[in-house]
Amino acid sequence: MERPDGPLIGFACAYTPLAVVSAAGFTPYRVHPLTEEPDRTGRILHDNICPHVKRILDRLLGGDLPSLAGMVFMNSCDAMRRLYDAWRAVPASAPAVLIDLPISADGLSVRFFAGELERLSRTLAGWGGRTFDPAELGRQIDRYNVQTGLIKALAERVAAGTLADGPARLQAAFNRAATAPVDETTASLRKLLAEETVSDPGGVPLYLFGNVLPDPEAFRLFAACGARVMASDLCTAGRLFQPLDAGSGRERLLDLAAALLGRRPCARSFDPGRPGGIADDVLAEARAAGCRGVICHTVKFCDPYLARLTAIRGTLQEAGMPFLVLEGDCTLRSIGQQRTRIEAFVEMLQ
Amino acid sequence: MMLEFFQEMERSIESSIRESRGVASPRKRYTLEVARLGRRLYSGEGKMAWCGVVAPFDLLTAMGVTSCFVEFVGAMVASTGAAGAFIETADQAGFSSDACSFHRSVLGAAMQNTMPVPDLLIGTSNPCSGGLAVIENLARHFSRPLTLLHIPQDQSGGNVAYLADQLRGLARFVTDHTGQPLDPERLRQAIANTNRVHAVGSEVYALARHCPSPATSKDLANFGIVMALFLGSDGSVEVAEAYRDAFRERIAAGKGGIPGEKVRLLWIQNRIQFRHPLEKMLEELYGAAIVIDELNDFNWDPIDPDEPFEGMAKRAIAIPFNGTIETRVEHLKKLARQYRVHGAVNPCNWGCRQGTGARGLIEAGLGSIGVPVLNLEVDCVDDRKFTEGQLRTRLEAFLEMLDGRPSPWQ
Ligand code: SF4
Ligand code: SF4
Repeated sequence: MERPDGPLIGFACAYTPLAVVSAAGFTPYRVHPLTEEPDRTGRILHDNICPHVKRILDRLLGGDLPSLAGMVFMNSCDAMRRLYDAWRAVPASAPAVLIDLPISADGLSVRFFAGELERLSRTLAGWGGRTFDPAELGRQIDRYNVQTGLIKALAERVAAGTLADGPARLQAAFNRAATAPVDETTASLRKLLAEETVSDPGGVPLYLFGNVLPDPEAFRLFAACGARVMASDLCTAGRLFQPLDAGSGRERLLDLAAALLGRRPCARSFDPGRPGGIADDVLAEARAAGCRGVICHTVKFCDPYLARLTAIRGTLQEAGMPFLVLEGDCTLRSIGQQRTRIEAFVEMLQ
Repeated sequence: MMLEFFQEMERSIESSIRESRGVASPRKRYTLEVARLGRRLYSGEGKMAWCGVVAPFDLLTAMGVTSCFVEFVGAMVASTGAAGAFIETADQAGFSSDACSFHRSVLGAAMQNTMPVPDLLIGTSNPCSGGLAVIENLARHFSRPLTLLHIPQDQSGGNVAYLADQLRGLARFVTDHTGQPLDPERLRQAIANTNRVHAVGSEVYALARHCPSPATSKDLANFGIVMALFLGSDGSVEVAEAYRDAFRERIAAGKGGIPGEKVRLLWIQNRIQFRHPLEKMLEELYGAAIVIDELNDFNWDPIDPDEPFEGMAKRAIAIPFNGTIETRVEHLKKLARQYRVHGAVNPCNWGCRQGTGARGLIEAGLGSIGVPVLNLEVDCVDDRKFTEGQLRTRLEAFLEMLDGRPSPWQ
């Protein structure tokens, strides 16, 4: 029989090893940068830090968080490191750990990252979780893989246009999967998949990539502008839910480390043998999904993404793939302000 | 253009030293070394690497590779007043104007074909995400081999061994792409030079703590970070010795770096790299000297010649920009105490998330030992954004505030 899922552990990055958190008896809870709290981060952080990080801190400062047994930060970028510092400086904040994240997936990096995962397990045990048990980790990986399979099936239905209000509900499903116990999410995904098939009126097929865009309303906006997001790669969407082939037995953490580092990377990670490879990947995925254009959504001040856009633009341009960049601040208002640009882009592709 | 610039710089400093029969200020010797490095980088002779900030330059020296972190180029073009044009090129190509201009100027320079094509590139995950990204971009731009060093956040657990193994891998990578094997004897010699710079440089810093400080605000600007580039070479030892001798003499003669030193300042992170009148204004109007820069310190121990890779690994991890803000603040507090500073200036280089990100915590940390911090809004590279009047007013108000309060060290 499944055990009930336990207290919440916050996280903020798609590299977070959810199965390790679950194996310690906790429920991972993604702290999305969605809040009505006023901007109060200025006294701790500089204004030039990305709004993803600032809004998470605003949530903490404004008490807009559920009770957390701890917070796991991944060392993905400068901004995240500074968030880790700021988090601990806020009185009575939940205990936090920063897990270091290598840049690439070579052998040394994988071994190092396995050590970091072990450190995370020990930290979670110190926060009241269960001590590390490879068999339990294996069970959790299997559960996440089941969930990932369902998410993939749902994404395929949305791309095919057979789910009513598909893109927004898919994003809502991603958000739920990132914040609720796995069984609960799995059940709701099954329910969604069982829904009656509709025929979506369509739209211009587009590929969407970038970092943080959790608000389902943003996806309604894309649809209202005549776009159909056929495939996407976002931190707050499918990037967190990729299948993990994590081996078995004693080497399980090593295998999990290899699987996590070997997944489709976001802009902050790369293979030194293929510098700027993200540009080629975006093009390949857009083509594979039959898209007529590409949209990048990035939050302001995000060095990992902003620094790679020129190479991406160049590659897409050379291939004759139209490209639109939207820079936002995690609010619906900021993306809403770009409605005319999205409409014009879609119109141009029609 | 840059080659001519460095050649001319080298020629004119050498001839001025000759004319004064070998007598030269330590800053002149330092600048000569900068010119020589620049000339080697741009000459197209020998093997060359563009790197991240914490690459092991002594190891690369031992392997016959002229190497440099790319931010050096940003600083150089800023000092010549040429950064604006390069930054504009980068901006037009779509690089974000919110990014660090050390990096935007380098990217612009590469696009204008004024950056020499390297034989290889070495990215480092510290100090900043932007620095790693610029190396990745350059590797794509130049289609040259790239390797990475992931710098762990601290020296706990197996972190030192992990980075040491990466450094061994780096040596193999260099050999693969230059045909130059690592000669243990040359490495030993380079490490001996590094340790000599550590010993003499430590003395330089100890002398700079003297009240009044023998250093002017300009003397040690960029010193710690740029000296890292010369590590392993004989030139680095000569520069350190020149500073030590000059500071000893000044102290023996009872001469401060600036006449009538009244206020001692700590400068956080980067200096403003282009010509500007603010440091002079501080010295002349307020008797205020920048006696210590954040990076003018050895946060690492001399390197054991029998375990060079471990020593270089510890050094790379120890840069104050690595790790948590507590480590950085503790280091700043240590410097503030050692140098008995009255206040600190944080220029908050626009675009630097890692450095300026937690400025509120730095301010609180130094404030807790009675050292006020002035946070400015400066782009340290792009002189087109320089708002002299505003900065002057802020600095003046800060100095007046310091004047009205007792020294934290009384
Ligand atoms: S949005 Fe970008 S800068 Fe912000 S935390 Fe994510 S990767 Fe880092
Ligand atoms: S100023 Fe900051 S972002 Fe720019 S190069 Fe230095 S550490 Fe990196």
